[in-house]
Amino acid sequence: MTRFIESTITFPYKRSLGPVVGAFMTALTEKQILGIRCQDAVLVPPMEWDPSTGAELPHEFVEVGPAGTVESWTWVAVQSEQHPLDHPFAFALIRLDGATTPLLHAVDAGNPEAMSEGMRVAPRWRGTRAGRIDDIICFVPGESVETEGEDTGGAAEPVTRMDYLASITYRNPVPEAADRATEASREHRLLGLRCPDCGRVYAGGRGLCPVDAIELGPECEVDLPHKGTITNFAIVTPVQYPGQTETEPFVRAFVLLDDTDVIIPYSAVIELPADEVRVGQRVDAVWASPAEETEEGGGMGGSWGSLLGWIPNGEPDLDDPDLVNRIF
Amino acid sequence: MSTPPVAVVGVGQTHHKSRRLDVSFGGLVREAVFRALDDAQMTLADIDAVVLGKAPDLFEGVMKPELYLSDALGAVGKPMFRVHTAGSVGGTTAIVAASHVQAGKHRTVLAVAFEKQSEGNAQFALGSGKGASLGAGGAFAPFIRAYIQRSGAPEHIGWKVAVKDRLNALKNPYAHLKIEDISIEKVKASPMMWEPTRFLESCPSSDGACAVVITDEAGGNAAAAEGRPPAWILASSSRSEPSSFPGRDPVRPAAALQCAADVYSAAGITDPRRQIDTAELYVPFSWLEPIWLEAFGLAEEGEGWKMVDDGTTELGGSLPVNASGGVLSSNPIGASGLLRFAEAANQVRGAAGEHQVDGAKVAIGMAYGANNQYFSTWAVGSSLHPFD
Repeated sequence: MTRFIESTITFPYKRSLGPVVGAFMTALTEKQILGIRCQDAVLVPPMEWDPSTGAELPHEFVEVGPAGTVESWTWVAVQSEQHPLDHPFAFALIRLDGATTPLLHAVDAGNPEAMSEGMRVAPRWRGTRAGRIDDIICFVPGESVETEGEDTGGAAEPVTRMDYLASITYRNPVPEAADRATEASREHRLLGLRCPDCGRVYAGGRGLCPVDAIELGPECEVDLPHKGTITNFAIVTPVQYPGQTETEPFVRAFVLLDDTDVIIPYSAVIELPADEVRVGQRVDAVWASPAEETEEGGGMGGSWGSLLGWIPNGEPDLDDPDLVNRIF
Repeated sequence: MSTPPVAVVGVGQTHHKSRRLDVSFGGLVREAVFRALDDAQMTLADIDAVVLGKAPDLFEGVMKPELYLSDALGAVGKPMFRVHTAGSVGGTTAIVAASHVQAGKHRTVLAVAFEKQSEGNAQFALGSGKGASLGAGGAFAPFIRAYIQRSGAPEHIGWKVAVKDRLNALKNPYAHLKIEDISIEKVKASPMMWEPTRFLESCPSSDGACAVVITDEAGGNAAAAEGRPPAWILASSSRSEPSSFPGRDPVRPAAALQCAADVYSAAGITDPRRQIDTAELYVPFSWLEPIWLEAFGLAEEGEGWKMVDDGTTELGGSLPVNASGGVLSSNPIGASGLLRFAEAANQVRGAAGEHQVDGAKVAIGMAYGANNQYFSTWAVGSSLHPFD
């Protein structure tokens, strides 16, 4: 049975809207919907260029709507978090009065029987508007414009940027080799896979040899030593971004395991400050105690499992300047 | 197998800045596109296909921007392609566009690349959305440490490259960083970011775009006849290799050596150091200049840093590198590779303005990406037979 790991990536992006979409968003805060003249047509939402030729459009804005006609629709019976309404609704292509092209928006009609092509709808505005398309909560059947809550008026300044909180959740299958490596780590074993063709050994649950392009199954498993030498390292000054977990310079070391050709790259280090890390330093693996075990694994992450990282073991440094060239 | 001659007849780029808050994605790429079309004396109607390159979608959080931008690029009803090879993508974009013309599939192809870093965060994107991102600086620092050890280069080499490229940027009206008082002392005094790389030895984060118009032999000849010199593409190559395996050398990656060998052999370049007049190499951190000089055969192994030290790679030296100011001065990531290719083309067209290398007849543009894994390079000439 394939196991899956769920992970979510979230980031607060900031869009620059440009002169045309910016004007559209600014007008939304005033409860106005703008189109732009493009030859004989009025495009809604407005575009910066003629979509058929790419020609730049002069900024001839036209106020359209507020009411319009449903040209096409589809019923959304089951809502996701990202849908505009928390109950069943229609997504509809609505041609606002005075517009040539339809606008995609939600229609809160209660049930699909209330929806039809040619039906008239009008916007339900948010009381407090930010200059986003969801300043219009949705459209409602009929000709009457609604405003939900107290109307706090238009934006004081033109709207030029938009916050966009992107969030996506993945379910990634965990390869069998990665699972076996993680399981071995629970017993404090460092598992490697030896390629039967070239003899190279890969750690960290990497179930393939990228040189020979072959899969490495359980028959390729070997136990790797828990002792090694730092060959090279990165000291990273953390840039602060949403989701950053580090505040101070941190070390990632490349560890060459004793009597092997195996490098454990980008390894976490323990009790080894950034200003003391050096090429040739001798280190031992550090494993999580049962109390420290987490679903996410130790400091190394992923299929390294219970391996927390590497700690100086007090042995004298290896005096070999060429070690620094062993990065991978 | 010889390929039909193709030429660059138009080059355009934006003014690169930290934040272009005044334009949308579409507005940004169109600035570069219309400059390139004006340069080629063409309109969007003359373009038969569009190739778009940019860094991973996580940089701006827009999935498949090539679809969203198709009308902004006048690609409605035309073939539109997205290219994706990490940091080398801009270069690969140019090569894919050129390949369509060489194959006879399309006569005139527009290559466009962009990044709008201000909409997101590069460290976040490079760290796959997790904390403790190494960033590009952290990823490359070990490679730089290894280069310094094996070449025995003194530490001031990195500072010299940082100063040289920023001085060159002062001559490039489109460059992002304009550090009038740049000096070795200033670079040395800047904060250590990813030891041994200091802040001023690192590229900026930029918003920007670049576009190049590539057309067939007849189009190239027509431009030349009208007094608008084309850049003839003498050869191009893209090569890649796996991220890690025991024995892999990221300082002299096999893919880089192969990429250089492909281009030199197809272009008839037997002595790159003497036959190439100027190079635009992808140098986001100062030490990458000597590293790529060596991997791309412009210097013997272990000798690249000496060309930095003795001024060979300065504007006015015998092999100027990054006369435009390079990635160290402007880094709209997805566009950075195409900018190298475009600047190389402008050099052999005699169109580089104040940062023109006198008499440049042959130039290379090179881009790389990921863990020193992807390489794209082209050689361009002021004529199809520059060595005759």
